[in-house]
Amino acid sequence: MNGKTVLYVEDNEFNLKMVRQLLARTAYRLIEATDGELGVATALRERPDLILMDIQLPKISGLDATRQLRADPRTAAIPIIVITSFALSGDDQKAKDAGATAYMAKPYSPRELLQMIRKLLPEQ
Amino acid sequence: MRWVAAIKVSVHGKLLAGYLLVTLLVIGMGAISLQTISKMSSQSHQLDEAHERVHASQEIQHALAMQMNFTAMALLLRSETTVENILRENNRFNNTLARLEKAAQPEEVELIQRIRAAQGEALTIVADIANLIRDGKVENAMQLQHDKQYPLYLRIEDFVTQLVVRERNKMDQLRASVAAANRTTLVLMAISAVALMLVALLLGFIISWSFILPVQKAHGFLSEVAKGNFAATIQVPNRDEFGALAAHMNHMSQELHRLYDDQCRASQELEKLNTQLQQASEAKSNFLANMSHELRTPMNAILGFVEMMLDEIYGEIPPQLREPLVDVQTNGKHLLRLINDVLDLSKIEAGRMELVLAEYSVHDVVEITRTSLQSLALEKGLDLTTEVDDGIPLAFGDGKRITQCLMNLVGNALKFSKHGSVAVSVKQQGKDLLYRVSDTGIGIPRAELENIFGEFQQVDTAITREFSGTGLGLNITKKFVEMHGGRIWVESELGSGSTFFFTVPLRMDHVEAT
Repeated sequence: MNGKTVLYVEDNEFNLKMVRQLLARTAYRLIEATDGELGVATALRERPDLILMDIQLPKISGLDATRQLRADPRTAAIPIIVITSFALSGDDQKAKDAGATAYMAKPYSPRELLQMIRKLLPEQ
Repeated sequence: MRWVAAIKVSVHGKLLAGYLLVTLLVIGMGAISLQTISKMSSQSHQLDEAHERVHASQEIQHALAMQMNFTAMALLLRSETTVENILRENNRFNNTLARLEKAAQPEEVELIQRIRAAQGEALTIVADIANLIRDGKVENAMQLQHDKQYPLYLRIEDFVTQLVVRERNKMDQLRASVAAANRTTLVLMAISAVALMLVALLLGFIISWSFILPVQKAHGFLSEVAKGNFAATIQVPNRDEFGALAAHMNHMSQELHRLYDDQCRASQELEKLNTQLQQASEAKSNFLANMSHELRTPMNAILGFVEMMLDEIYGEIPPQLREPLVDVQTNGKHLLRLINDVLDLSKIEAGRMELVLAEYSVHDVVEITRTSLQSLALEKGLDLTTEVDDGIPLAFGDGKRITQCLMNLVGNALKFSKHGSVAVSVKQQGKDLLYRVSDTGIGIPRAELENIFGEFQQVDTAITREFSGTGLGLNITKKFVEMHGGRIWVESELGSGSTFFFTVPLRMDHVEAT
């Protein structure tokens, strides 16, 4: 298991399960966190190669978590894909402002998500 | 004034009474003047009479002198013939005396009778003298004349003089009386005129102020009412039309007060209701905004899992399962569109929709629309053509919302056309961009053209069933166009297609977006 590590911060177990199954057939290793605080803690501890951050999370929001990670030199360089509510609502701009590398509107296509992960973090 | 005001007589009556009083006083003054004039006229008549009597007395004196003269002539000429002249003079004397007696005052009558008696005696002496002359006894006649006739004439002369003096005195008295009456009349007239003037002024003053005071009070009262002080009342002593007016004004003020209170209560209730409604509306939009993410999360799982199944991540799927899975996916996507539309609309309604202004390319807007809907057009066998003027510069506005608008219109056009084509074009018209989407679809009945941009409006429910759709797309499109300061309209002929137009400014003012 030398694959690159992807951290998915999401509180919905079905979405976690879906991404888990999506990445199961790839070389990526998935680690999970179910709220914003845990997300930040896990990222600092595990130093993943890429983070998928849902925008609406318990405790602290995905945007705040992103800002905290960007502010910390240990995690500042990790690419973060923020999963926004709706591309048209201005969430994408908020995500960019918080320091997201890229954003993807929910509901996202698993196929497109995987393409984006591969683009930002080549599998091999 | 208060007393006059309180008299229970109409304004009309008061004015008439005032004028009548002044008129009566003038008539009274006239009557007094007439009386004075008549008195003066009578005194003047008396004066004339007295004058006449003096004149008569003088005539008597003259006759007397003539008698003396003729007597003297008879004596000188020693002829009694001139005595006849004395008789003629005597007749004149008697006539005049009779005239005098007729006009004489009672106290003068006695004097006149004495004159007549003396004259009678004188005539007897004249007769004696005539006889003496005829008998040639001139010496005796002269003696008689000297002893008897002359003193008698002197006595008569004295009587007449007394009469004249008396008349003169009387005339002086009369003159003094007339002058006094004249002065009295003048003073009386002057006093009357001044009094009349004062009465007229006083009446005018009192009556007019008894009208002016209530008018002034009404003025003050109305100003108070106009300021919103409905508790104000007007109190006037008048019991005439002004009193009635004041009573009406008080009634009006009470009514206004009551209406104002009702209005206030109604307004408060409305305000309360409005606040409640606003709270409810805000709660609704908050709820919907929060629901946005909550709804998307399960949608994400549903659509994600279906896509992964169709991508055969879980292994090969049996062919008979592919179609139902695609159906699940199609309906899931439709449900998502519905959710998006409802959320957009709720944000717009709540006034929380803000445009994100930036520079954007009109070519991109059209291209994104074309690529997104190309597959739907191909599926339905429709021709989707786009045409954008080359010269259009970079636009400034909310490019994503403009794209959403164009996608709604093109999506509808594709949805409602069974064959033919859908043509999209964008032109620059001065400072505006004109978007045009025409189709060869079923068209819109004339009567529906106005309603089509309303909420939940579709031409009829049968069509809704056949073509599906949220019924919100056009409403949202209209609102976004209007938020840009643009305009949307449609031209259509039933059965041969519709053309939708909308304009947005090429470059929005920054001010408009706020």
